[in-house]
Amino acid sequence: MAKQIDHKAALDVQLVAASQAGDMLAFEELVARHRDKIYARAFSMMRNEEDAIDLSQEAWVKAWQRLKQFQGDSSFATWMTLIVINLCLDQLRRQKRTRAESIEQLDEELGGVERQMPVVATNPSEGLERSELRKRIDKAMNQLSYEHRTVLILHEFEEMEYKQIAKVMNCSIGTVMSRLFYARRRLASLLQSLKKEQQS
Amino acid sequence: MNTELKLQAMVDGELDARDMREVEALLAQDARHAALLQELKWTKSAIAGNEVELALPETREFYWSKISRSIEAEARKAAAAAPAERAWWLKLLYPATGLAAMVAVMFVVSGGRTTDGSDSENVPEDVNAVSFRSESEKMSVVYVADENGNFSPVSEEVKNAPEADK
Repeated sequence: MAKQIDHKAALDVQLVAASQAGDMLAFEELVARHRDKIYARAFSMMRNEEDAIDLSQEAWVKAWQRLKQFQGDSSFATWMTLIVINLCLDQLRRQKRTRAESIEQLDEELGGVERQMPVVATNPSEGLERSELRKRIDKAMNQLSYEHRTVLILHEFEEMEYKQIAKVMNCSIGTVMSRLFYARRRLASLLQSLKKEQQS
Repeated sequence: MNTELKLQAMVDGELDARDMREVEALLAQDARHAALLQELKWTKSAIAGNEVELALPETREFYWSKISRSIEAEARKAAAAAPAERAWWLKLLYPATGLAAMVAVMFVVSGGRTTDGSDSENVPEDVNAVSFRSESEKMSVVYVADENGNFSPVSEEVKNAPEADK
């Protein structure tokens, strides 16, 4: 018989072990602990509440089915985050195939646009309250294509290296570097515009 | 890798020592690249740790209920698929079983008696005796050879005699 644990007090590793043995209550506790982070990651990629809820729930179902594969090489939260990122990327790729590309997106894909952008000479985040800066970053991220947004999320928020991002996004390291460069330059430009808007 | 990407790799700590020396030399004499490096650093530090915080707009119970229902539905689907897999293996077993039955029948038939009502002889190689059975006469006869090799009947058995003959 499986050992009973105090779900609320148990560590993630204990809850994972119990879940692997079929304890649904342990898994429910894991969901309760990490649901905000998993939902927030899905939202940051999809930019849509309904999709973010659906995909985050799908990620939890997948996680339950694949729990046996979780060996503890990373934290459970990191493992879960990768599952939801992959589901979001699959969904975004499907959406991209079905919608017409804008000229700007094509330019971004072909590269070179970022070199024509003027360098932002003053720090656009200087003097901003943290909450205000977060809002502006979120607003600017919303204006990036999903490829550029994802590469920024993975690098800056998930703290992945180029090599790891290339693996997750199924592209070359060179592509990751180009996308990250464009995304940063565009973000700097958008933050500067937001600053100017507020000042005028 | 072009110079801009090398600058970025420098900011991200992913530039090797040789490229680092090359970029540092360039930055010392190129103001545009120095300004670009500054912009990349500002952007990186502005984003890092400044992701907007979001909470799931659903209650724990409501959110979990859909997950648990989906898990149960998937489990039912998997269970329903399992007999189909067994049936697939059984399909392979059918011809094998048929073949085995055919071999068994052939083995029995080759053992001596026929089932078509004709007469047959059975001569074991290591025994100096011969048995004879006639299905039409409903009788069996065993012949044993003497020291000269001459066979003579030593037993006679009549089976399944009609009731009227008893």
